Amino acid sequence: MTQTSTFTPEELLSSGPVAEPLIANGVRCHGGFDADGLYRSPRTLCRLPAIQAWQAQLSDQGSPLIEIPRNLMPPQYPSAVQAKLLLENGVREPVVRALTIISIVEGFGAMIRDVEVPELRKIFVEPIDGTGLDHLTGGLFEAHARDESGYRDEGGHKQMWEAARDAALENPKVPGDVLMRLMGRRGRGGPQQPAFPEIGPELERMLGLMANVLVVEVFAEGTFQWGIDVLSDPEISAAPEVAGSMVRNIQADEKPHVDYLRTALSEVSARTIRTVDDKTISGKTVVDGLLHRVLSQMTRNRPGDQREDLREGLARAISVATNPGALQEEFDALELTWTPPETTGFEPAANGA
Amino acid sequence: MVTRVRRSLKVGWNAAWLWGMYKIPSWGRRLRGIEISNEELSPTHQRAAARVLDLALDLRGVMIKLCQSVATRSDIFPKEFIEKLKQCHDAVPPKPFEQVRRMVESELGKPIEAVFSEFEPTPIASASLAQVHRARLIDGREVAVKVQYPDIEGIIRTDLGNMRRVCRVYEFFDPQPLPLLPLLVELTRHLRMELDFVREADCADRVRELFADDPHVKIPEIYREWSTTRVLTMELVSGIKITEKASMKEAGLAPAEVFQNLMYIYVRMILAAGFFHADPHPGNLFVTPTGEIVVLDFGLSKELPEGFGLGLFELMFSLATFNESAMVRAFTELGFRSKTGDTSTFVAIARRMVRRSDSGAFEGEFTEDMTEELFEAIREDPVAEVPSDFVLVARVFSLLSGIGHTLGSRANVLQAMSGGGPVASSNASR
Repeated sequence: MTQTSTFTPEELLSSGPVAEPLIANGVRCHGGFDADGLYRSPRTLCRLPAIQAWQAQLSDQGSPLIEIPRNLMPPQYPSAVQAKLLLENGVREPVVRALTIISIVEGFGAMIRDVEVPELRKIFVEPIDGTGLDHLTGGLFEAHARDESGYRDEGGHKQMWEAARDAALENPKVPGDVLMRLMGRRGRGGPQQPAFPEIGPELERMLGLMANVLVVEVFAEGTFQWGIDVLSDPEISAAPEVAGSMVRNIQADEKPHVDYLRTALSEVSARTIRTVDDKTISGKTVVDGLLHRVLSQMTRNRPGDQREDLREGLARAISVATNPGALQEEFDALELTWTPPETTGFEPAANGA
Repeated sequence: MVTRVRRSLKVGWNAAWLWGMYKIPSWGRRLRGIEISNEELSPTHQRAAARVLDLALDLRGVMIKLCQSVATRSDIFPKEFIEKLKQCHDAVPPKPFEQVRRMVESELGKPIEAVFSEFEPTPIASASLAQVHRARLIDGREVAVKVQYPDIEGIIRTDLGNMRRVCRVYEFFDPQPLPLLPLLVELTRHLRMELDFVREADCADRVRELFADDPHVKIPEIYREWSTTRVLTMELVSGIKITEKASMKEAGLAPAEVFQNLMYIYVRMILAAGFFHADPHPGNLFVTPTGEIVVLDFGLSKELPEGFGLGLFELMFSLATFNESAMVRAFTELGFRSKTGDTSTFVAIARRMVRRSDSGAFEGEFTEDMTEELFEAIREDPVAEVPSDFVLVARVFSLLSGIGHTLGSRANVLQAMSGGGPVASSNASR
């Protein structure tokens, strides 16, 4: 049986029928429920078969699909157990802040539609017709953007996370420092130096962003599990069913994002890139190099730095609890230790590139 | 006294002239049963605006400030007024040095020579409320001394009193008056803030603290020992004016990067900290040869209500992501109020804004064009209350957008948010 591998943007953005729309905390969101009450993700009518077709092509060509090792995923901080302990003791602010930041970061995923995409057909030595790569600006980035931030009169993941937070914690007050935490502080370092100047800044930016988003999306599995654990716990959640399902719905929506990104990056990996000085470089060298850089950054210093940034705020929030000393002690005792693996699996030397 | 009477008479006569200019032709038309359209009123608006501008340039002081305020309220005033009164800059001829000396000595309680080893008699800048002199403290530190005009408080009292009377008379006679009195109340509040130099020093310290570990920002030190409510002595910092693109390039700076740095500073103040420098005109912004942004003049600094930054972020975000329902919620969170009390007005405005955004006109940029579109939508489908903080913030981003265009860059609020921290390292980075 032959599968078609070329789709129009309208097809990739099309949704199947739903019997009941998803209303989250009074906001109409994307997706909905079928006649059996099962959640159906938006814009997946053609997107899912399309991704399967592109993956099948890769498999037929003997090109592997990129896998991000799950053991590289840093643990959540505070952990689900620590977050529950805080909520049980009336310390809500850190959890509300964390959930709000998650919702905003999800929303920022929409910026993927603004990435400048160079003329890919001229860049690769091999043809790209009928690949995921060929559909990035033809519906894939746009579908991703709409899923994350909502579109027109429908909410997206940003609004769904907000709804889960508000349902579980009964419309909590959002801490005023959320955006300050989100923006962080600037260091002395300048912009990141290009890893592959020979492919030109536009292509490196696009591939770097895709590598970055792929890793974020894969690591988000930890965030979803954390969200489900915390928000569906009847001991602390006012709406465990609603809030837990909402996070599961977001989790279901994210799967096509991971799949199209790893497919498109695998397609790059299986090809040859024309450099700006009329030479060539293997796509695998570039993709592995970019993934190695992203994974190194996300697993080495960042979890520790983020933990340090949060510690002070957590201590301040705990200090207003009934018995702050004991709570802090119990909180610290639940601390998980995590050491990042020595290698990312994408080291240039390891790949012999 | 003579001056005050003269000012009162001028304000009164011009107000009466303006009122007649609008009303007399409308009476004639009404007698003939004809309504005047907005298009027909355009020449009248142009003449009236020119008259107001002439009056402001003649009387200066509060009149200049009032015109500057009107020029930011395109949600209330016709575009002819906005365009004309934008020309109202507050550069004024300086006061004689003897008056400055008397003010400094009376405020500091010492002869000028006891505090400063040098004090340049010619100011480096003069505006509607104060002028600034270069000087050197006895210990050798170079300073800038901002000195309030000796008679400014009296003039302001007279002008505000005159304008309040004019507004009351106008509201009495006009069945559907423009909301001028609230504008005057806001102006009075701003003037009070600008006239208190101790408050200005506090604001400068607060912003300096906000960027304490940011090597890209420079807020001059205030020397409290030599500062009072009317005299402000601060570290003298020199740099390249923020709009001088060629000088930046000569110094080896990339103008677009300088602008993104500037945007980050304002986005951090407005959206994240909820406290900001509200007067980013090019005379208050410099860049040092090492790329630090220097921010001056904290007279008009403002605390925003709790949640305002998040509301503004939601508005910008919903606009950039074409999400009408989120935009409607953001309007409510920001304090916009509709006359009918329902959200249909906001839905209509949101649709209009999203349509513009959809065509790629805004692309996450908080431009003058965007605020114009928003305020025009509001004028057409009148919203009872546009929060004054929103107007002030919109003005700030419009000014920044203008600077951005001069420097070949864009005032993209969302992109500026990703200038550092978790957003930069998330899927938002570009």
